[in-house]
Amino acid sequence: MTEPAISITHVTKTYQRGGETLRVLDELDLQILGGTFYALMGPSGSGKTTLLNLIGGLDHPDSGDVVVGGDSLTSMSAGELARWRADHVGFVFQGFNLLPVLTALENVELPLLLTPLKKAQRRAQAERALELVGLTDRMHHKPRELSGGQEQRVAIARAIAVDPAVVLADEPTGDLDRHTADQVLELLQRLNRELQKTILMVTHDPVAAGYAQKAIHLDKGKLGRIDDNRKATVTAGH
Amino acid sequence: MPIRLLFRNLRAHPIRALLTAGSVAVAVFLVCILDATVRGFTAAVDLAAQNRLVVMSNVSLFVNLPLAYQQKISQVPGIAQTCKFQWFGGSFKQKKGGFFAQFAVDPENFQTTYPEVGIVDGSYEDFRRRRDGCVIGKDLAAQYGWKVGDTVPLVSALYPRGRDGEEAWTFNVCAVYEARVRSLDQMTMYFDHAYLMEALDLGAAQGQKGVGTYSIKLADGARAETVMAEVDALFAGGPQRVKTTTEAEFNRQFVSMMGNVPLLLRSIGGGVLFAIFFAVLNTMMMAGRERTRDVGIMKALGFSGGSIAALLVVEALLLALAGAGIGALLAKGVEGPVARVVSMWAPGFAIDDRVLLQGLSIAAVVGLVSGMLPGLRAARLLPVHALRQEA
Repeated sequence: MTEPAISITHVTKTYQRGGETLRVLDELDLQILGGTFYALMGPSGSGKTTLLNLIGGLDHPDSGDVVVGGDSLTSMSAGELARWRADHVGFVFQGFNLLPVLTALENVELPLLLTPLKKAQRRAQAERALELVGLTDRMHHKPRELSGGQEQRVAIARAIAVDPAVVLADEPTGDLDRHTADQVLELLQRLNRELQKTILMVTHDPVAAGYAQKAIHLDKGKLGRIDDNRKATVTAGH
Repeated sequence: MPIRLLFRNLRAHPIRALLTAGSVAVAVFLVCILDATVRGFTAAVDLAAQNRLVVMSNVSLFVNLPLAYQQKISQVPGIAQTCKFQWFGGSFKQKKGGFFAQFAVDPENFQTTYPEVGIVDGSYEDFRRRRDGCVIGKDLAAQYGWKVGDTVPLVSALYPRGRDGEEAWTFNVCAVYEARVRSLDQMTMYFDHAYLMEALDLGAAQGQKGVGTYSIKLADGARAETVMAEVDALFAGGPQRVKTTTEAEFNRQFVSMMGNVPLLLRSIGGGVLFAIFFAVLNTMMMAGRERTRDVGIMKALGFSGGSIAALLVVEALLLALAGAGIGALLAKGVEGPVARVVSMWAPGFAIDDRVLLQGLSIAAVVGLVSGMLPGLRAARLLPVHALRQEA
């Protein structure tokens, strides 16, 4: 799969802070290939999370165009973006962001409410997603009854429940220990390999970035280099 | 699932939910009781008999009319019956706060003039035969534990000495009545006017002779305006001029003697509601703010602002209606005891469907408005801002 799933063209995003205008993304151009696992790296303030939010339709750019799966997000209204997110993108956050009052299964089922699926179908699909992340035995537990790693796996199950083409992960291992982080990263890797999901993961961690096929480096809102980990691995192997 | 999420959110803070619903319950309870009391005041006006008139002194209700007037009034065409009514102003000294209404009436004409007085125990015939007999209301009998055959001693400020020269007057309970209309209370004693007058004639008793008011029952087809004008004209030249009104008008004047009590009661109810509205609003705003991150998550998942707002509105509505339901049930539960307490001045007191519906409607409005403000805030919130909120 080498078709560009995400296309960023001349995207600029600024924020006002204390009367000062911060140019977080500056005329950024970027092509993300479908079915590829990307790490998005860079120092704090380089625009990683902002880029992720624009690709996920959580925010609008000041200028430029964001096209995901052939849909231009730039001209969509808030309501259109919400409907688009429900169908096309899954999110995994650093803080897991599960609803504390719902069980693991109910959290995974939540985005399926926005699909035309019937109750039994929703339940079955949510159970399949939890099975995929290895949490069938914890599906009736609430987030506070789960470990951090388990919570993040529930979040990943929720992200893939509606079978989106793109999964966006913002520091998914930031709150986890090394061992648990590796398990979560292996899971993301499996989603990419076995389900051909396009994954874009923001991380500071070079070890985490090593799980991705490509690592995009941002600096001060501009594109730096793009490392191809597969080639690097192949080179190292030779 | 959204319903489950809604209930889970409520259950996540059970004490807060209980206190909020409890405050609405108290407000609705008070509003129901106060509203029913105000309606009770005016029920005597609204439900007054259309075929009855009241004759009173043109000077004041507190000035007695001569006894001889009854015969003259009875001769006016269109009048089927007349009945004396005299306030006794007594109280049952054996019990603290033993005040209730007593009227001296004509036993011969009383029941036919007031068919809504339904005898449920004892005999009205005994009341007619026995000079010291009396008929008492069902609630009055229950309150003091009186039954047919009991002797009831009463002390009156208007008639300070009884028939035997003793302080207390004694009455024999001949019958117990039940009200057949909502506007009649069940806390009154009716006794023979002749008993009162005889005692005064004997010289042992003290007090003013005469009659407070005459009640007139119109004959079928008689026009109230014509009869009122004729009765008034009859005594236009004295010795004491009278004012004849419909029963509804008489009751209206009586209610107006209470001044602004209904307004005061409605103001208290309104004030309580206003305070509770702000309490519920504050709670819902807090709940909305606490869930900012949840709102961000749901928006990121694709839920629209409107659906998230609807969840908050329904949650507030549910809380308010649950509280209102409890308040309405409580009000209904105490209806009987409260009705007995207020029956003398608000005989029409009843927690009926209208009162309950009003309480529930007010609670629904409080719930809707309280949910709409945090709902609108949630709907407008940008997902990126909401997700930045600390959990």
